[in-house]
Amino acid sequence: MNQDENELISRCQKGDQEALKEIYDRYHDKVYRIAYGMVRHREESLDIVQEVFIKLFRSIGNFKGKSKFYTYLYRMAVNTAIDHSRKMYRVFSSSLDEEGAPQPSEMAEKGPDRILLHKELEEKVKAALDELPPDQRAAILFREVEGLSYREMAESMGCSIGTVMSRLHYGRKKIQESLRKYVKEEGRE
Amino acid sequence: MKDSCSSVSRLLEKYFDQEATDKERSLVEDHLAGCLSCQDTLEWMGDFRDSVKTPVKMAVQKEDFERAWQNIRREIQLQEKSSWWKSIQSWLDLPRFFRKKVWVPAVAVVAIFALLTTQVFFEEASEEASYGALPDVEYVDSSYNVMVYAIEKSKITVIWLFEGQEMEAPSS
Repeated sequence: MNQDENELISRCQKGDQEALKEIYDRYHDKVYRIAYGMVRHREESLDIVQEVFIKLFRSIGNFKGKSKFYTYLYRMAVNTAIDHSRKMYRVFSSSLDEEGAPQPSEMAEKGPDRILLHKELEEKVKAALDELPPDQRAAILFREVEGLSYREMAESMGCSIGTVMSRLHYGRKKIQESLRKYVKEEGRE
Repeated sequence: MKDSCSSVSRLLEKYFDQEATDKERSLVEDHLAGCLSCQDTLEWMGDFRDSVKTPVKMAVQKEDFERAWQNIRREIQLQEKSSWWKSIQSWLDLPRFFRKKVWVPAVAVVAIFALLTTQVFFEEASEEASYGALPDVEYVDSSYNVMVYAIEKSKITVIWLFEGQEMEAPSS
Protein backbone atom coordinates (compact mmCIF):
# COMPACT_ATOMS: atom_id res chain seq x y z
CA MET A 1 0.00 0.00 0.00
CA ASN A 2 1.58 3.27 -1.07
CA GLN A 3 1.65 6.57 0.78
CA ASP A 4 -1.01 8.10 -1.43
CA GLU A 5 -3.43 5.25 -0.73
CA ASN A 6 -2.68 5.43 2.99
CA GLU A 7 -3.63 9.09 2.95
CA LEU A 8 -6.82 8.39 1.01
CA ILE A 9 -7.86 5.71 3.49
CA SER A 10 -7.08 7.97 6.42
CA ARG A 11 -9.21 10.77 4.90
CA CYS A 12 -12.00 8.34 4.20
CA GLN A 13 -11.88 7.16 7.81
CA LYS A 14 -12.54 10.75 8.82
CA GLY A 15 -15.67 10.81 6.66
CA ASP A 16 -14.26 12.52 3.57
CA GLN A 17 -16.52 11.58 0.65
CA GLU A 18 -14.08 12.91 -1.94
CA ALA A 19 -11.53 10.39 -0.69
CA LEU A 20 -14.12 7.66 -1.08
CA LYS A 21 -14.70 8.83 -4.66
CA GLU A 22 -10.98 8.46 -5.40
CA ILE A 23 -10.97 4.96 -3.92
CA TYR A 24 -14.09 4.20 -5.96
CA ASP A 25 -12.39 5.40 -9.17
CA ARG A 26 -9.46 3.09 -8.48
CA TYR A 27 -11.35 -0.02 -7.55
CA HIS A 28 -14.89 0.03 -8.95
CA ASP A 29 -14.03 -2.06 -11.99
CA LYS A 30 -12.26 -4.69 -9.89
CA VAL A 31 -15.21 -4.94 -7.49
CA TYR A 32 -17.57 -5.13 -10.46
CA ARG A 33 -15.58 -7.96 -12.05
CA ILE A 34 -15.80 -10.00 -8.86
CA ALA A 35 -19.51 -9.24 -8.53
CA TYR A 36 -20.28 -10.04 -12.15
CA GLY A 37 -18.25 -13.23 -12.03
CA MET A 38 -20.20 -14.36 -8.99
CA VAL A 39 -23.77 -13.40 -9.93
CA ARG A 40 -23.59 -13.08 -13.72
CA HIS A 41 -26.16 -10.34 -13.83
CA ARG A 42 -25.38 -6.74 -14.76
CA GLU A 43 -27.91 -4.88 -12.62
CA GLU A 44 -27.27 -7.10 -9.66
CA SER A 45 -23.52 -6.57 -10.09
CA LEU A 46 -23.97 -2.79 -10.06
CA ASP A 47 -26.08 -3.11 -6.91
CA ILE A 48 -23.27 -5.12 -5.33
CA VAL A 49 -20.71 -2.44 -6.30
CA GLN A 50 -22.87 0.24 -4.67
CA GLU A 51 -23.44 -1.82 -1.56
CA VAL A 52 -19.73 -2.61 -1.21
CA PHE A 53 -18.67 1.04 -1.35
CA ILE A 54 -21.41 2.15 1.05
CA LYS A 55 -20.33 -0.62 3.44
CA LEU A 56 -16.71 0.40 2.95
CA PHE A 57 -17.46 4.01 3.89
CA ARG A 58 -19.28 2.89 7.02
CA SER A 59 -16.72 0.32 8.13
CA ILE A 60 -13.40 1.67 6.89
CA GLY A 61 -12.65 2.70 10.47
CA ASN A 62 -12.15 -1.01 11.19
CA PHE A 63 -9.35 -1.25 8.62
CA LYS A 64 -6.11 -1.15 10.61
CA GLY A 65 -3.72 -1.59 7.70
CA LYS A 66 -2.55 -5.05 8.77
CA SER A 67 -3.47 -6.50 5.38
CA LYS A 68 -3.39 -4.94 1.92
CA PHE A 69 -6.31 -2.62 1.34
CA TYR A 70 -7.44 -4.27 -1.91
CA THR A 71 -7.58 -7.71 -0.26
CA TYR A 72 -9.77 -6.15 2.45
CA LEU A 73 -11.99 -4.68 -0.26
CA TYR A 74 -12.03 -7.93 -2.28
CA ARG A 75 -13.11 -9.86 0.76
CA MET A 76 -15.96 -7.43 1.29
CA ALA A 77 -16.90 -7.73 -2.39
CA VAL A 78 -16.89 -11.53 -2.35
CA ASN A 79 -18.95 -11.74 0.83
CA THR A 80 -21.50 -9.25 -0.50
CA ALA A 81 -21.66 -11.09 -3.85
CA ILE A 82 -22.13 -14.44 -2.07
CA ASP A 83 -25.01 -12.93 -0.06
CA HIS A 84 -26.59 -11.63 -3.26
CA SER A 85 -26.13 -14.88 -5.17
CA ARG A 86 -27.78 -16.78 -2.31
CA LYS A 87 -30.70 -14.38 -2.47
CA MET A 88 -30.93 -14.60 -6.23
CA TYR A 89 -30.61 -18.38 -6.38
CA ARG A 90 -30.34 -19.25 -9.97
CA VAL A 91 -31.55 -15.99 -11.45
CA PHE A 92 -29.52 -16.36 -14.54
CA SER A 93 -29.90 -13.59 -17.07
CA SER A 94 -30.74 -14.80 -20.53
CA SER A 95 -29.24 -11.58 -21.86
CA LEU A 96 -25.81 -12.78 -20.80
CA ASP A 97 -25.00 -13.97 -24.27
CA GLU A 98 -25.45 -10.50 -25.66
CA GLU A 99 -23.61 -8.85 -22.80
CA GLY A 100 -20.72 -11.17 -22.42
CA ALA A 101 -20.02 -12.71 -25.76
CA PRO A 102 -16.73 -11.72 -27.36
CA GLN A 103 -17.10 -9.42 -30.33
CA PRO A 104 -16.04 -10.67 -33.77
CA SER A 105 -13.29 -8.06 -33.94
CA GLU A 106 -11.72 -9.52 -30.82
CA MET A 107 -11.62 -12.98 -32.27
CA ALA A 108 -10.73 -11.93 -35.80
CA GLU A 109 -7.31 -13.48 -35.61
CA LYS A 110 -8.86 -16.84 -34.74
CA GLY A 111 -10.51 -19.10 -37.30
CA PRO A 112 -14.34 -19.56 -37.49
CA ASP A 113 -14.16 -23.03 -35.90
CA ARG A 114 -12.13 -21.62 -33.06
CA ILE A 115 -14.63 -18.76 -32.57
CA LEU A 116 -17.53 -21.22 -32.40
CA LEU A 117 -15.62 -23.41 -29.99
CA HIS A 118 -14.83 -20.41 -27.79
CA LYS A 119 -18.43 -19.22 -27.78
CA GLU A 120 -19.74 -22.64 -26.89
CA LEU A 121 -17.07 -23.11 -24.27
CA GLU A 122 -17.96 -19.77 -22.71
CA GLU A 123 -21.62 -20.69 -22.45
CA LYS A 124 -20.83 -24.04 -20.90
CA VAL A 125 -18.26 -22.53 -18.55
CA LYS A 126 -20.84 -19.98 -17.38
CA ALA A 127 -23.29 -22.73 -16.57
CA ALA A 128 -20.61 -24.87 -14.92
CA LEU A 129 -19.34 -21.92 -12.83
CA ASP A 130 -22.85 -21.35 -11.61
CA GLU A 131 -22.95 -24.89 -10.27
CA LEU A 132 -19.81 -24.44 -8.17
CA PRO A 133 -19.92 -23.64 -4.45
CA PRO A 134 -19.32 -19.89 -3.88
CA ASP A 135 -15.86 -20.45 -2.35
CA GLN A 136 -14.59 -22.32 -5.39
CA ARG A 137 -16.21 -19.84 -7.77
CA ALA A 138 -14.56 -16.93 -5.94
CA ALA A 139 -11.17 -18.69 -6.07
CA ILE A 140 -11.46 -19.19 -9.82
CA LEU A 141 -12.48 -15.56 -10.36
CA PHE A 142 -9.64 -14.22 -8.24
CA ARG A 143 -7.15 -16.28 -10.18
CA GLU A 144 -8.51 -16.27 -13.73
CA VAL A 145 -10.00 -12.78 -13.87
CA GLU A 146 -8.05 -10.73 -11.34
CA GLY A 147 -4.78 -12.66 -11.65
CA LEU A 148 -4.15 -12.64 -7.90
CA SER A 149 -1.32 -14.73 -6.49
CA TYR A 150 -2.11 -17.60 -4.13
CA ARG A 151 -0.96 -15.46 -1.20
CA GLU A 152 -3.20 -12.53 -2.19
CA MET A 153 -6.10 -14.90 -2.69
CA ALA A 154 -5.57 -16.41 0.75
CA GLU A 155 -5.60 -12.91 2.27
CA SER A 156 -8.74 -11.94 0.36
CA MET A 157 -10.58 -15.11 1.25
CA GLY A 158 -9.35 -15.32 4.82
CA CYS A 159 -7.90 -18.83 4.47
CA SER A 160 -4.58 -20.63 3.99
CA ILE A 161 -2.68 -20.97 0.70
CA GLY A 162 -3.33 -24.72 0.85
CA THR A 163 -7.08 -24.08 0.98
CA VAL A 164 -6.80 -21.69 -1.96
CA MET A 165 -4.97 -24.33 -4.03
CA SER A 166 -7.52 -26.93 -3.07
CA ARG A 167 -10.48 -24.69 -4.01
CA LEU A 168 -8.89 -23.85 -7.33
CA HIS A 169 -8.06 -27.47 -8.07
CA TYR A 170 -11.52 -28.83 -7.26
CA GLY A 171 -13.26 -25.94 -8.99
CA ARG A 172 -11.31 -26.49 -12.19
CA LYS A 173 -11.76 -30.23 -11.95
CA LYS A 174 -15.54 -29.97 -11.59
CA ILE A 175 -15.80 -27.61 -14.53
CA GLN A 176 -13.59 -29.84 -16.63
CA GLU A 177 -15.78 -32.84 -15.75
CA SER A 178 -19.03 -31.07 -16.59
CA LEU A 179 -17.56 -29.90 -19.87
CA ARG A 180 -16.40 -33.43 -20.62
CA LYS A 181 -19.97 -34.64 -20.02
CA TYR A 182 -21.23 -32.00 -22.43
CA VAL A 183 -18.71 -33.04 -25.08
CA LYS A 184 -19.83 -36.68 -24.71
CA GLU A 185 -23.52 -35.72 -24.99
CA GLU A 186 -22.81 -33.63 -28.06
CA GLY A 187 -20.92 -36.58 -29.57
CA ARG A 188 -23.93 -38.86 -29.08
CA GLU A 189 -26.24 -36.39 -30.84
CA MET B 1 3.40 -42.32 -18.08
CA LYS B 2 -0.01 -42.25 -16.42
CA ASP B 3 1.47 -42.33 -12.91
CA SER B 4 3.76 -39.55 -13.88
CA CYS B 5 0.80 -37.46 -15.15
CA SER B 6 -1.10 -37.79 -11.88
CA SER B 7 1.97 -36.82 -9.88
CA VAL B 8 2.50 -33.78 -12.13
CA SER B 9 -1.21 -32.79 -12.07
CA ARG B 10 -0.98 -30.42 -9.08
CA LEU B 11 2.36 -29.06 -10.23
CA LEU B 12 0.86 -28.40 -13.62
CA GLU B 13 -1.69 -26.07 -12.03
CA LYS B 14 1.02 -24.28 -10.07
CA TYR B 15 3.02 -24.01 -13.27
CA PHE B 16 0.05 -22.57 -15.13
CA ASP B 17 -0.66 -20.12 -12.30
CA GLN B 18 3.02 -19.08 -12.27
CA GLU B 19 3.41 -20.19 -8.68
CA ALA B 20 5.83 -23.06 -9.26
CA THR B 21 9.38 -22.91 -7.96
CA ASP B 22 12.30 -23.20 -10.41
CA LYS B 23 12.68 -26.86 -9.57
CA GLU B 24 8.98 -27.58 -10.07
CA ARG B 25 8.96 -25.65 -13.32
CA SER B 26 11.77 -27.64 -14.84
CA LEU B 27 10.11 -30.86 -13.69
CA VAL B 28 6.85 -29.90 -15.39
CA GLU B 29 8.57 -28.73 -18.56
CA ASP B 30 10.47 -32.01 -18.80
CA HIS B 31 7.22 -33.90 -18.44
CA LEU B 32 5.32 -31.71 -20.91
CA ALA B 33 7.90 -32.31 -23.59
CA GLY B 34 6.86 -35.95 -23.81
CA CYS B 35 3.20 -35.89 -22.74
CA LEU B 36 0.43 -34.89 -25.16
CA SER B 37 -2.27 -35.40 -22.52
CA CYS B 38 -0.73 -32.84 -20.15
CA GLN B 39 -0.14 -30.47 -23.07
CA ASP B 40 -3.89 -30.72 -23.78
CA THR B 41 -4.68 -30.07 -20.13
CA LEU B 42 -2.48 -26.98 -20.16
CA GLU B 43 -4.15 -25.76 -23.33
CA TRP B 44 -7.56 -26.40 -21.77
CA MET B 45 -6.56 -24.29 -18.77
CA GLY B 46 -5.68 -21.41 -21.10
CA ASP B 47 -9.01 -21.68 -22.96
CA PHE B 48 -10.84 -21.91 -19.67
CA ARG B 49 -9.16 -18.75 -18.40
CA ASP B 50 -10.15 -16.88 -21.59
CA SER B 51 -13.72 -18.10 -21.38
CA VAL B 52 -14.06 -16.87 -17.79
CA LYS B 53 -12.26 -13.60 -18.32
CA THR B 54 -13.70 -12.35 -21.61
CA PRO B 55 -17.40 -12.01 -20.65
CA VAL B 56 -16.47 -10.23 -17.43
CA LYS B 57 -14.19 -7.81 -19.25
CA MET B 58 -16.91 -7.09 -21.80
CA ALA B 59 -19.52 -6.45 -19.12
CA VAL B 60 -17.28 -3.93 -17.31
CA GLN B 61 -16.90 -1.86 -20.47
CA LYS B 62 -20.66 -1.42 -20.80
CA GLU B 63 -21.42 -0.11 -17.33
CA ASP B 64 -22.14 3.47 -16.29
CA PHE B 65 -20.07 3.69 -13.13
CA GLU B 66 -20.65 7.44 -12.74
CA ARG B 67 -24.38 6.81 -12.23
CA ALA B 68 -23.52 4.14 -9.68
CA TRP B 69 -21.33 6.66 -7.85
CA GLN B 70 -24.20 9.19 -7.75
CA ASN B 71 -26.36 6.50 -6.13
CA ILE B 72 -23.67 5.75 -3.57
CA ARG B 73 -23.28 9.43 -2.69
CA ARG B 74 -27.04 9.93 -2.42
CA GLU B 75 -27.35 6.92 -0.14
CA ILE B 76 -24.50 8.10 2.12
CA GLN B 77 -26.02 11.59 2.36
CA LEU B 78 -29.43 10.13 3.18
CA GLN B 79 -27.88 8.06 5.93
CA GLU B 80 -26.11 11.11 7.33
CA LYS B 81 -29.36 13.14 7.36
CA SER B 82 -31.23 10.49 9.24
CA SER B 83 -28.36 9.95 11.65
CA TRP B 84 -29.47 12.79 14.01
CA TRP B 85 -32.83 11.09 14.48
CA LYS B 86 -31.11 7.76 14.98
CA SER B 87 -28.80 9.30 17.57
CA ILE B 88 -31.82 10.57 19.51
CA GLN B 89 -33.43 7.16 19.24
CA SER B 90 -30.28 5.41 20.36
CA TRP B 91 -29.89 7.88 23.22
CA LEU B 92 -33.43 7.19 24.37
CA ASP B 93 -33.13 3.62 23.20
CA LEU B 94 -36.93 3.41 22.96
CA PRO B 95 -37.23 0.35 20.75
CA ARG B 96 -34.98 -1.68 23.04
CA PHE B 97 -36.89 -0.38 26.04
CA PHE B 98 -40.17 -1.64 24.60
CA ARG B 99 -38.64 -4.81 23.21
CA LYS B 100 -37.14 -5.84 26.53
CA LYS B 101 -40.42 -5.14 28.39
CA VAL B 102 -38.52 -3.79 31.38
CA TRP B 103 -41.31 -1.24 31.65
CA VAL B 104 -43.94 -3.87 32.51
CA PRO B 105 -42.95 -4.34 36.19
CA ALA B 106 -42.39 -0.58 36.56
CA VAL B 107 -45.86 0.21 35.21
CA ALA B 108 -47.32 -2.55 37.40
CA VAL B 109 -45.70 -1.06 40.51
CA VAL B 110 -46.98 2.43 39.65
CA ALA B 111 -50.50 1.06 38.99
CA ILE B 112 -50.59 -0.82 42.31
CA PHE B 113 -49.30 2.27 44.16
CA ALA B 114 -51.92 4.45 42.48
CA LEU B 115 -54.67 1.97 43.37
CA LEU B 116 -53.61 1.84 47.02
CA THR B 117 -53.28 5.59 47.43
CA THR B 118 -56.67 6.13 45.76
CA GLN B 119 -58.23 3.67 48.17
CA VAL B 120 -56.64 5.42 51.18
CA PHE B 121 -57.75 8.79 49.84
CA PHE B 122 -61.35 7.64 49.45
CA GLU B 123 -61.35 6.05 52.89
CA GLU B 124 -60.17 9.34 54.44
CA ALA B 125 -62.69 11.30 52.43
CA SER B 126 -65.53 9.07 53.59
CA GLU B 127 -64.34 9.40 57.19
CA GLU B 128 -64.36 13.16 56.85
CA ALA B 129 -67.83 13.02 55.36
CA SER B 130 -69.05 10.99 58.29
CA TYR B 131 -67.54 13.49 60.68
CA GLY B 132 -69.26 16.26 58.74
CA ALA B 133 -72.58 14.51 59.08
CA LEU B 134 -72.28 14.19 62.86
CA PRO B 135 -70.69 17.36 64.15
CA ASP B 136 -70.10 18.01 67.82
CA VAL B 137 -72.12 21.10 68.66
CA GLU B 138 -70.12 23.07 71.18
CA TYR B 139 -72.18 26.22 71.63
CA VAL B 140 -75.51 27.68 70.52
CA ASP B 141 -76.50 31.27 71.08
CA SER B 142 -80.07 31.76 70.01
CA SER B 143 -80.06 35.45 70.75
CA TYR B 144 -77.43 36.06 68.11
CA ASN B 145 -78.42 33.12 65.94
CA VAL B 146 -74.99 31.52 66.27
CA MET B 147 -74.10 27.88 66.53
CA VAL B 148 -70.53 26.77 67.02
CA TYR B 149 -69.61 23.18 66.36
CA ALA B 150 -66.35 21.38 65.81
CA ILE B 151 -65.03 18.31 64.04
CA GLU B 152 -62.40 17.12 66.43
CA LYS B 153 -60.36 14.95 64.11
CA SER B 154 -59.84 17.53 61.43
CA LYS B 155 -59.59 20.40 63.89
CA ILE B 156 -62.11 22.47 61.98
CA THR B 157 -64.44 24.81 63.75
CA VAL B 158 -67.50 25.99 61.88
CA ILE B 159 -69.52 29.02 62.91
CA TRP B 160 -72.98 28.99 61.41
CA LEU B 161 -75.11 32.13 61.29
CA PHE B 162 -78.82 31.38 61.03
CA GLU B 163 -80.94 33.37 58.70
CA GLY B 164 -84.30 34.84 59.67
CA GLN B 165 -83.31 37.14 62.57
CA GLU B 166 -82.79 40.82 61.90
CA MET B 167 -80.44 41.41 64.78
CA GLU B 168 -76.79 41.02 63.86
CA ALA B 169 -74.08 39.70 66.08
CA PRO B 170 -72.17 42.49 67.81
CA SER B 171 -68.70 43.05 66.64
CA SER B 172 -66.32 41.92 69.33
